[in-house]
Amino acid sequence: MSQSVDDTYTESQVIMTAVKIIAPFTLTYGLFMTFHGGDAPGGGFQGGTVVGVTVLMLAFAFGIEPTRRWLRNSFLVGIITGGVVLFGAIGLAMIALGGNFLEFAMLKEVFHIKAKWGLEAIEIGGISLIVTGTIISLFFTMAAGFSPERPSGTGGRNERGESAGAEVSDDD
Amino acid sequence: MIESLFSHYTYVLVFVLLGIGIYMVIASKNLVKKLIGVNLFQTAIFLFFISMAYIDAEGASAPIVPKDGVPLEVMVASPLPQVIVLTAIVVGIALTAVGLALIIRIYAEYGTLREDTLREVRADE
Amino acid sequence: MSLFAYTLVAFILATAVATALFRDILSVIIVFGAYSLGMAILYTFLLAPDVAMTEAAIGAGVTTLLLLLTIARTTRPSTDRLSERIHVPAVVVVGAFVLLLCSVVLPEMYAVGGTETPVWSNLEVTQHYITETHHETGVKNAVTSVLAAYRGFDTFGEAVVVFAAGVSTLLVLKREVFA
Repeated sequence: MSQSVDDTYTESQVIMTAVKIIAPFTLTYGLFMTFHGGDAPGGGFQGGTVVGVTVLMLAFAFGIEPTRRWLRNSFLVGIITGGVVLFGAIGLAMIALGGNFLEFAMLKEVFHIKAKWGLEAIEIGGISLIVTGTIISLFFTMAAGFSPERPSGTGGRNERGESAGAEVSDDD
Repeated sequence: MIESLFSHYTYVLVFVLLGIGIYMVIASKNLVKKLIGVNLFQTAIFLFFISMAYIDAEGASAPIVPKDGVPLEVMVASPLPQVIVLTAIVVGIALTAVGLALIIRIYAEYGTLREDTLREVRADE
Repeated sequence: MSLFAYTLVAFILATAVATALFRDILSVIIVFGAYSLGMAILYTFLLAPDVAMTEAAIGAGVTTLLLLLTIARTTRPSTDRLSERIHVPAVVVVGAFVLLLCSVVLPEMYAVGGTETPVWSNLEVTQHYITETHHETGVKNAVTSVLAAYRGFDTFGEAVVVFAAGVSTLLVLKREVFA
């Protein structure tokens, strides 16, 4: 098994065309579900997974390494951590306004806006970001496989796939 | 007995799926297949929750509620078990990924995914 | 209570048995994807569209992809036999377990879809969520309101668990993505 990430990828015209046609629709559907979670079936978890799966589909059709370069790791880490921080911050903000953790009724009392907006902020800004980011980064991590200890300061991100494959094959 | 099999059909399905999941964990030698068994077991539990939330009434619908409702007259499924399952599915995939990462790691270390071979290799060390 | 539901149950059972018995790991993964899709359709039938959408995306999509990636990263044992040898002691133990559940637990349960069940008819929890959601939170989807408002603290915990699982995968595989 001395194959790197790109060795497992075979270019298929059928799959690439199909994904090109389907991807805009699944992305729109995922975003629709995220933003319309209040009044229709949908919400952060559901929409977030569909958006994440869209990226996975693109990676599967066009190669994982190019997709990984396009969607930088720092961006993914940013949206996951940002989601958790935003969720916590909104919860704590309600304490600052004089209520309990995540007590959205405070929005109505202090700012005279509907409690619904606090709920939507959690769904869109917190949950959907965390779920999307986690699914994509789990996929990329698994795709990169296991890389044993490397000397520090060597190798850029793009070389990891190859180095991982080579190291694994030594263990066989 | 036979009628209860039909009136409780999702629960029967849940129990059988629980059995198949445990069987895969016990009987499969391949670690990936064992993890699929765990996943199957997990979906059986999800189905158990969802069938408890289900109501088979006239005009019953998904939990989209009207503005003014009288208790026991709004015929929608119970939202609480559905929420619990919703979060459990997302946590479940994350944990499956951790398990698969461990499997990749085991393969890199021992070069096999078969449980019996793995035991021999570990005994030799 | 319809032919559709029974057909779906039969499909799910067939795919589950095939998952357990196929020997080739790639076939197992693909049949498991079909099983998840059947499960998602059953959830829709059982009035849980939110769960069904998540299950279709995650069970049939992400799980299948991650399993495929795993066998691409590790190994797919070659085999010429179609099905696994049946492990008799395991079948006996599991069969006894399932029979016990079906004969002892099943008669004690409410029929599927009954409105007299404590899950649906209790006034403090389910009926409160169903009738007060619109007044208290201003959204129509009770699943969203329970998720983000009534049980928001719980959901925060779940979000942190998902986050932690992502981090631990990176640690197990020693990736420095978070560096």
